[in-house]
Amino acid sequence: MRKYYEMMKSQMKIETAYVAWFWAGTFATVVKILILYYFWTAVYENRSSIAEMPLETMLTYAVIAALLGNFHFAGPGNQLAEQIQSGGVAVELLRPYDLINRLVWQSWGGFGMSLVRDMLPMLAVGWIFLGIQFPATGTGAVLFILSTLIGLFLAMYIDLILGVLAFWTVNIFGLRTLKNAILLFFTGSMVPVTMFPGWLQTLSQYMPFQSIVYVPVSIYTGTLAGLDALSAMLVQILWLALMWAVVRVIWSLAVRKVTVFGG
Amino acid sequence: MIEVSGLTKEYKIALRKPGLTGAIQALFKREHQIKQAVQDVSFSIRKGEMVGYLGANGAGKSTTIKMLSGILTPTSGKVEVNGIVPYQNREQNAKGIGAVFGQRTQLFWDIPVRESYDLLRHIYEVPEDDYRESLALFTEVLDLGPLLSIPVRQLSLGQKMRCELAAAFLHRPAVVYLDEPTIGLDVAVKQKIRTFIKEMNKREETTVILTTHDMGDIEELCKRIIIIDEGKVLYDGDLQQIKERFGQKRVVHFELENKAGFAVPASLRDRVEIVPKADGEAEASNTVSLSFSSRDLSAADVIQAVLSVHSVRDLTIADPKIETIVKEIYERGV
Amino acid sequence: MIRYSQLYWQFFKKHLKVMMEYRLDFFIGVMSVVLIQFTSIFFVKVVFDQIEDLNGWGFYEVLFIYGVATMGRSIHHIFFDNLWTIGWQYIRPGNFDRLLIRPINPLFHLIADRVQQDGFGQLVIGGLLMAAAMPHLGVEWGPVNLLILLVLIVSSGAIFVAVNLFFATLSFWIVDSLPITFAAFNLSDFARYPLNIYHKGIRWLLTWLIPYGFTAFYPAAAFIEHSGYRELGMITPLIAVISCWLAYRFWKVGLRAFNSTGS
Repeated sequence: MRKYYEMMKSQMKIETAYVAWFWAGTFATVVKILILYYFWTAVYENRSSIAEMPLETMLTYAVIAALLGNFHFAGPGNQLAEQIQSGGVAVELLRPYDLINRLVWQSWGGFGMSLVRDMLPMLAVGWIFLGIQFPATGTGAVLFILSTLIGLFLAMYIDLILGVLAFWTVNIFGLRTLKNAILLFFTGSMVPVTMFPGWLQTLSQYMPFQSIVYVPVSIYTGTLAGLDALSAMLVQILWLALMWAVVRVIWSLAVRKVTVFGG
Repeated sequence: MIEVSGLTKEYKIALRKPGLTGAIQALFKREHQIKQAVQDVSFSIRKGEMVGYLGANGAGKSTTIKMLSGILTPTSGKVEVNGIVPYQNREQNAKGIGAVFGQRTQLFWDIPVRESYDLLRHIYEVPEDDYRESLALFTEVLDLGPLLSIPVRQLSLGQKMRCELAAAFLHRPAVVYLDEPTIGLDVAVKQKIRTFIKEMNKREETTVILTTHDMGDIEELCKRIIIIDEGKVLYDGDLQQIKERFGQKRVVHFELENKAGFAVPASLRDRVEIVPKADGEAEASNTVSLSFSSRDLSAADVIQAVLSVHSVRDLTIADPKIETIVKEIYERGV
Repeated sequence: MIRYSQLYWQFFKKHLKVMMEYRLDFFIGVMSVVLIQFTSIFFVKVVFDQIEDLNGWGFYEVLFIYGVATMGRSIHHIFFDNLWTIGWQYIRPGNFDRLLIRPINPLFHLIADRVQQDGFGQLVIGGLLMAAAMPHLGVEWGPVNLLILLVLIVSSGAIFVAVNLFFATLSFWIVDSLPITFAAFNLSDFARYPLNIYHKGIRWLLTWLIPYGFTAFYPAAAFIEHSGYRELGMITPLIAVISCWLAYRFWKVGLRAFNSTGS
């Protein structure tokens, strides 16, 4: 135990700059959550529910969705695109593992770190100070965790599609920003999809994005429960399977392009 | 032109106790140690002189140059360049100086070299005609023609250095500080750069202070050298004199089949010395370095004598380095 | 002053040339900023579909605050963005020395070294927001009011610059203050909504300590009859002048410290 304590201490010293960034990031998240808190409190000033959600539910939704949304911008696709553009992908292809799987698992590692370091402390702060609710039921909590994991998988595979496209387009930056803008909105990390105007809700139902944030967080708040929750998760799984297949197909096309035509 | 007297620069270095406790303590209470980067340096340089300012890394060369160019304020002592005190009158001083700082670019990274020069023209308020004339001259001497339309970041090291040098001279400064202008360049480019510096010195009577590790630069450009070590001036005077006294020192490194039985051959006894191993070099390695003075021996003599007695796998002849000269002077005095 | 404006124009022309050479990157940069900004406006729209007002502020009034904030930010982003890079691009690699051997003000040189193209995206969106909001405020937009608006927007930009300059100056002592600058800049997000929705402490902080309140809310309130902050809004230019003066004094102190220690 002593050994690990020493290792931790030395690591802390090495990463002083990193520590500064950690606190800066935490500060930014706190600011974001405070803004959400005051904003929604003001919105609910003269009314008890919006889109059939009371203030507490809405706050719970907003904070958890914002925390989950934080994680969607840096994904495995970004790293893949970088490797493709730097030419490192050719070396990676010679290694005895599947590059796509490696990137996905690396992302999970990153998610694990940020879960422990950023999200759970923030959630604790929310529970204690801002009146964020706990999951409505025990089953809800379990389904929330499962649904979050599926949602993250889905986000990673959508990100990977963009990453693979770097084989064909040089300027991936614009596509990324477009994706981020769409994700920010259609995943429901800003407002629940149920608050959208009718036509947007319909549109949203035929897109995979709401499976990433809206579905898990709604399961958390209890808006989606019972059979509704299960069928939403089934849709999540279908989207994930579809995106997985898309990634695999274009990835094998891309690899063939590299190996046959030399990139 | 340049008057320096009693120039001293002290740095405070924060002492930090090891460990996390030390790091936290340092937040509240700092203990300092004073390091003298430059101590009581005095010299004076005439207009049009080209002076080599030499010393090992960390000897205080760049600290001095920074004080001369107005980047650093001295702890005590006086500097005057062109009658201006640089650190009190930084902008005024800057008009009359040019500089090349080793590998760091003075040009603008993203834009073509020609545009960079054009910006510098505006920054230094160079009259249009003078500018055109200088540019034409530089383009010819440094062979810049094909480079002018390329952004700096796409240039090779040698190309970049040529462009840098032109930038430093563009506003026809009275004094130019060149910090390692030839580091890492091939012989042809080095030669071009030296020719250019000589040419500018001749035409404009530009005063040049040159720091370098390259003996060739010094020999070709400077009559006078100032050697600095641990912040103090060790030598200030004629290059020729110092070369006669110390520059004759040559070293040959031998890699032997077997070092165990090595002895200096009889014919060389008392005329060569075995160079002691530097710290960190394995004592067991099969290399031996012999130093001798080229006044009484040629490298060929030494090599032949050793080859006749020992079986040698490989050998190299080392050029006399500034560092060795500095070390010599330090150990034996001028 | 005239010399510096002419010199800035020379710098600006060079940057413009580079931008036009990479025209595609320029447009992608601008468009992506516009897109991201659009999502947050859409967010406000979706929320206002459900409510009539936010603490007494109507939809167009909130849009107006957003517009002023975005315009102010765009001034800062387009022309003063290089302040962000002082630590890692100038002081750490030793490039700051380059600025100090030039016969011009080093702060001017630092600022003129870069024009941030993405800032034009903010300008576009800011302009659109203003155009959408202004006709609905019940204000007669005569030349005097337009002039006042312009002065207030410029002041808003100046306050952004002053705050960033202040925190960037810390780099003279700690080499790179970017995490701190980033954390402080995040506070400006508060200013996008009416300040009266927040806790007193936050309001005080954003008014008198880090005056981001004067980058959007107060200047916008100067035009809104019922805001109760018309007078406070009109002192925005004064706050801007004081902030800039303080920040510049601090910069001078930092520069002197740098002159005596180097790096």
